[in-house]
Amino acid sequence: MGYIELNVLNSGPTPLALGIDLGTTNSLAAIWRDGRPQVLKVDGRSALVPSVIYFPREGQPIVGREAREQAIADPEHVLFSVKRFMGRGLGDVRQELERLPYRASATERGLIQLEARGRRYSPEELSALILMKVHDVACQSLAGQDTRKCVITVPAYFDDTQRQATRDAARIAGLEVLRIINEPTAASLAYGLDQRNKGNVVVYDLGGGTFDVTVLSIEDGVFQVRSTAGDTHLGGDDFDQRLADLARSAIAAQHGGKVLEDPGFQQAVRLAAEQCKIALSSDPEAELHLSIPELRISWRQRVTREEFEQLCADLLERTFAACRQALSDSGLKPEQIDEVVLVGGSTRMPGVRARVERFFGRKPHTELNPDEVVALGAAVQAHILMGGRRDMLLLDVTPLSLGIETMGGAISKLIDRNSTIPCEATEGFTTYADNQTGIDFHIVQGERELAKDCRSLGRFQLKGIPPMPAGLARVAVKFHIDADGVLTVSAKELGTGVHAHIEIQPMHGLSDAEVETMLKDGFQNAREDFEARRAADLVTEIGTMIRATEKNMNAARAGLDRESVRDLEDALAAARAALQSRSPGELQSARDLFERATLPLAALLMNNVAQKALMGKSLGEV
Amino acid sequence: MEACPACGAALHTPLACAACGALLDAPAELSPWKLLGLESGWQVEPAELQKRLVRCSRLMHPDFFAAAPQAARELAGRNSARLNEAYALLLDPARRAEWILTHAGGPSAQAERSMPQAFLMQVLEWNETLEASRGEPAGRRQQTLDELHGELEPQRAALLSRLANLLTPLPGPGSPQLLAARKELNALAYLDRALAQVQDLRLAH
Repeated sequence: MGYIELNVLNSGPTPLALGIDLGTTNSLAAIWRDGRPQVLKVDGRSALVPSVIYFPREGQPIVGREAREQAIADPEHVLFSVKRFMGRGLGDVRQELERLPYRASATERGLIQLEARGRRYSPEELSALILMKVHDVACQSLAGQDTRKCVITVPAYFDDTQRQATRDAARIAGLEVLRIINEPTAASLAYGLDQRNKGNVVVYDLGGGTFDVTVLSIEDGVFQVRSTAGDTHLGGDDFDQRLADLARSAIAAQHGGKVLEDPGFQQAVRLAAEQCKIALSSDPEAELHLSIPELRISWRQRVTREEFEQLCADLLERTFAACRQALSDSGLKPEQIDEVVLVGGSTRMPGVRARVERFFGRKPHTELNPDEVVALGAAVQAHILMGGRRDMLLLDVTPLSLGIETMGGAISKLIDRNSTIPCEATEGFTTYADNQTGIDFHIVQGERELAKDCRSLGRFQLKGIPPMPAGLARVAVKFHIDADGVLTVSAKELGTGVHAHIEIQPMHGLSDAEVETMLKDGFQNAREDFEARRAADLVTEIGTMIRATEKNMNAARAGLDRESVRDLEDALAAARAALQSRSPGELQSARDLFERATLPLAALLMNNVAQKALMGKSLGEV
Repeated sequence: MEACPACGAALHTPLACAACGALLDAPAELSPWKLLGLESGWQVEPAELQKRLVRCSRLMHPDFFAAAPQAARELAGRNSARLNEAYALLLDPARRAEWILTHAGGPSAQAERSMPQAFLMQVLEWNETLEASRGEPAGRRQQTLDELHGELEPQRAALLSRLANLLTPLPGPGSPQLLAARKELNALAYLDRALAQVQDLRLAH
């Protein structure tokens, strides 16, 4: 029996780790400080980063608020709702793409890529850009304290591929993921529901693009998830779409269908719908209003809250179908639920709140800001993982059954949905031909009877089985779902009594090599970013120096020797040339040259009694 | 009770030591009872099982090893997976019985497919009700399904108590109890499937 000894003694303060909510619409980081989780702030405001990316004509992509502001001005180069594409193939999202102004394509292996400025980006790379921005803002907020360790949240109903994609995105962003945790579970941590001794809790989480419902039991600091259900393609975006559809059909009737394909129109209608929806959360009636002068569109219609709720009735019904499923799986009845927690911006809709209250027969918790609660919970989990507390224990589950395709396209289940993670299962394989050295198998996740109706995690290949007669090889394949909910497959050959090394090649998601390449690109970009920033700073500095020198050229000619004046004139010319080139190297040497050349001038000006006030100031400040 | 190879303290689970915090690489063939530190036997108290799961998880859950070296992190993941698997197996009477039967050398589900005769007749009837319900209007169907559920549940309870009698004390290899238990287990598999179907249909409404 082997064992591993651990140094359980902890000394010093717990190191920092971020809790990051990587959302469809917004992303946010929080941290554990002063004994509680806190959302990071910049200038007193929550450091919310809209999950929007803008690709300008030149330079690095821009993420966040500034990117969102470009949505109408330059719609073709603004990407949003990237989370919906994580871990998906082109075929999975065809319907959504019809409504989004994106150019998408598939890689050779069917993975989706989005295009911007003639370059293709995987959803992982795009999410990495968002994560980098979140990390940047976090560092700013932490006054330069840097940490690359983080916990990232995902919808509970995310499958293996979507989780892997999230983990890869973080790697590309240069972050170290301590754990991927489920958003509803994070929310329950944030609410500090462990304060109550014992109880059953439902978390209803309707975000921008995903819906989750989780049933958990809490007792003495143990958070045990009993069941989870949901829909990774149901959220606020879909509610917006209903209003957008209303506008679309009315406007198409007036202006013809051609206008619907205009990217500017698509973004504008989306934003107008969102605004109207938000207004309807506080007012019983609001205006759906679209004005696009370039297309000669000026259209408005009043919508009542009731009409809006009618339009979205089926969407809401889908969430309750998932609630019934989760309750049934948990073995609990609605009356056994002690607390209901609302999470996600979309639970601000009064219609949602009212229906949830009616369904569970109790008033839901809404004390915490639904946009912040998930990040806060992630910070609690980060604190636990950094060794900050051992009194809490989180036992989460895998949302989907894991199965293997059998002859005829049926499924043999290996791991049931709602199994506590980490979990594992072992399946035996054998060869059907003499000297067969490889076995292929197909792994799926889902609850349907046939493999083709489930989500394919890809075909795996076992290679390197020692040659022997058919049926003699006995290969044990182990399926392990880790605490992140991510699957790993390993195998050993038992027939020969030797644990032969068997290679496993997953055929889905990004390969390690692809992630490495993106990682390098990421660093490359980071360096380019840095150089671009440095160049911009130099341009400003040189500009100031030129203006100050020009202003004082007369004084220089009057008071300096001819050589110094010529030096100054040369430096000015070099500085102007460097400004044209914008190369960081040239800018730097021009600045240095300029500084040397202006020294006599600065001395002259300072010696001038009339300029005494300049003492202690550099020329640039004159 | 075994002793911890690291510190010599008595172990409550072969997967980790509560005294010194060491993670242990336990042999593969240990029974689920052993992994959770329980006495072997058919009877398992869900509340006790839950208590054991939590107590053991506190020793080996990967969350407590996030900052540990990779080998420890992996072992924590593996041991937690074994623990969770043992818990799930013991919690589910069908899987628990299957484990007992297999390890006592009883007939497999492939080798012995029959069910108790009286039960078989009822199965035919239930299947008919289930099939017919699909064609019924929603309200009526819900009632049919509720009634069917109300019939199946007590059947399951009765079956479990018969199974308990057959498997207490645990039958040794070659015991005639094993064949009888297999037949009951076949019936249990049917009941669990039927109950799941009823539940799916109720949810689909």
